[in-house]
Amino acid sequence: MSIVIPTTKSASAGTPSPHPKSKRRAFEPVAGPLRVVLLLIYAVPILFIILTSLKDPADVISSQASVLFTPTLQAYSSVLSNQGLFIAMQQSLVIAAGTTALTLLVAIPAGYGLARVDSRITTAGLGLLIVLQMVPQTANVIPLYQVFGAWGLLNQNLGVIIADTALLIPFATLLLRPFFRGVPEALEEAASIDGAGMMRTFWSIMLPIARNGVATTGTLVFLLSWGEFLYAVNFFQSPENYPLSALLAQQVSAFGIDWPGLMALAVITSIPILILFTFTYRLLREGLTLGAVK
Amino acid sequence: MPADRMAKQPARQTTLSDGSAHKPPWRHSMGRRNKLAFALPAGVFLLIFSFFPLFQLVRMSLSDVSARTLNLPWEFVGFDNFSESATQGSLIPALGNTVVFVLIVTVIGLIGGLAAAILLSTSTRLSAFVLGIMVFIWALPPVVNGSVWKFLLGDAGLINSVVTTVGLSTDAIPFLYDERFALFSVAIVNSWAVIPFNALVFRAAILGIPGETFEAARIDGANRWQEIWHMIVPAVRPTTLVLTVLTVVYAFRSFDFIFVMTYGGPGVATNTLPFLSYLQAFVRFDFGMGAATAVISVLLVLVLAVIYARSVRSEEARS
Repeated sequence: MSIVIPTTKSASAGTPSPHPKSKRRAFEPVAGPLRVVLLLIYAVPILFIILTSLKDPADVISSQASVLFTPTLQAYSSVLSNQGLFIAMQQSLVIAAGTTALTLLVAIPAGYGLARVDSRITTAGLGLLIVLQMVPQTANVIPLYQVFGAWGLLNQNLGVIIADTALLIPFATLLLRPFFRGVPEALEEAASIDGAGMMRTFWSIMLPIARNGVATTGTLVFLLSWGEFLYAVNFFQSPENYPLSALLAQQVSAFGIDWPGLMALAVITSIPILILFTFTYRLLREGLTLGAVK
Repeated sequence: MPADRMAKQPARQTTLSDGSAHKPPWRHSMGRRNKLAFALPAGVFLLIFSFFPLFQLVRMSLSDVSARTLNLPWEFVGFDNFSESATQGSLIPALGNTVVFVLIVTVIGLIGGLAAAILLSTSTRLSAFVLGIMVFIWALPPVVNGSVWKFLLGDAGLINSVVTTVGLSTDAIPFLYDERFALFSVAIVNSWAVIPFNALVFRAAILGIPGETFEAARIDGANRWQEIWHMIVPAVRPTTLVLTVLTVVYAFRSFDFIFVMTYGGPGVATNTLPFLSYLQAFVRFDFGMGAATAVISVLLVLVLAVIYARSVRSEEARS
């Protein structure tokens, strides 16, 4: 999921080309039902997360597929009565927010620098970022476990935040770069003629103009670090410190899964994502599709 | 590609303003060079927390490292870890699994993505709603999506209820517990998870086709199927090329769904290269061997990166 390299704007993204209605006739009888099929393929799993979380464990044993049952909030009350859940929520929030802040702090200037200078160093840097982004996470977690052990970064949030940040900097930088590239250089030059320094130009001219890019990147980094569990599972020595994603990963690979409880946990893990998604959907849709991939 | 045209525009403006700005050219180019300093923090951060660990990974792969000796000086053993991993019989199946997995995810992910994009490139309310749901699924943590599919694919799950009701099979199909099905099941779920992103990118490419092109085709009497085949498919070709590499990489790196749905099993049926390295290091505590397997996967990534760079360059040369 974290492999995304979109670039600058394509002129007409967002404005559907005015396709005349008449020629759709031959296609529509097939397309309509197919759209509904597509909807089912993606909506049914969400539906079942919610339905199952409202079931009694006994209902799940009799038939997992049934949709007629007496809803109960039992799964939620037992999940929420667990003190550990609040710690997990807090951990998720700290790790995701920390990773987002640190990643943006480092990646925004990097995206800007790499957007403004065309040199061999830039090309090499971009190439390295693409390679880093392609490296499987398992190739990072094995040495990081040892390195963090030696540096005393295991078993604490900072270690996970740093590891997540290192994982997401290439993605964030490559995503931000085209947004800065889209800002006309003439604007910057005008500022420097007016006497603004390089930092000042960056802060008060570039950053405000590229804010959509920053918001898109920030949202995606938050989403990705919220769902990341491989580092958390391996760096924290006890599940007491797990964020929600790691808790979910641990419970789903255990024997004798309590499905209503697990699905309730999945719903709780997804609610912040739903809230964030509701506010940023338009931004994400445009940010990721503004232009082809490069 | 319209993106290219746009990307070049700022450069053109620069040349214009270069002429009009009353500044010696050398001062200007000095300023531009300095801007690379903005990338310095990222460079340092990645050097310490990405490249140094990767260097350690390579060292580890050439050493005998267990959980006990992890923080002691490592004994150099050359390529023993690689040959041992191969003779143990888990490396070659993992390579095969990886190839099959990547193929399935790439083919279904691309065809499904394009199909969904064509279906959803209209501006109806249903299209907008379906696209919204799909992007939401893409935004959900993989561990949530993996969990629900593990549930739906269970013996008493929804898919098996449908299968037995329709009469495709009298007994429940062990999608995730049978060596014949497990890899396919996880790969298909992974394709399902990547289709929304591919659809989003394809959709942008389709919406970028000028409306007049479609109008001209209509005057010539083309129907929608001909439009898809003769106009949309060629128009999204550059997008397809890049998305192919991205989807291959996505599939190759896939870890979350395997971890959640099968944990590499049954047996070694869903051990892909990255997952095998994880098992070797963190379950069998043979960090040297896990590192060796991970090094192989990093080398494969380098090959993919070169292919990627070449394809982007050749596409730029074409357009």
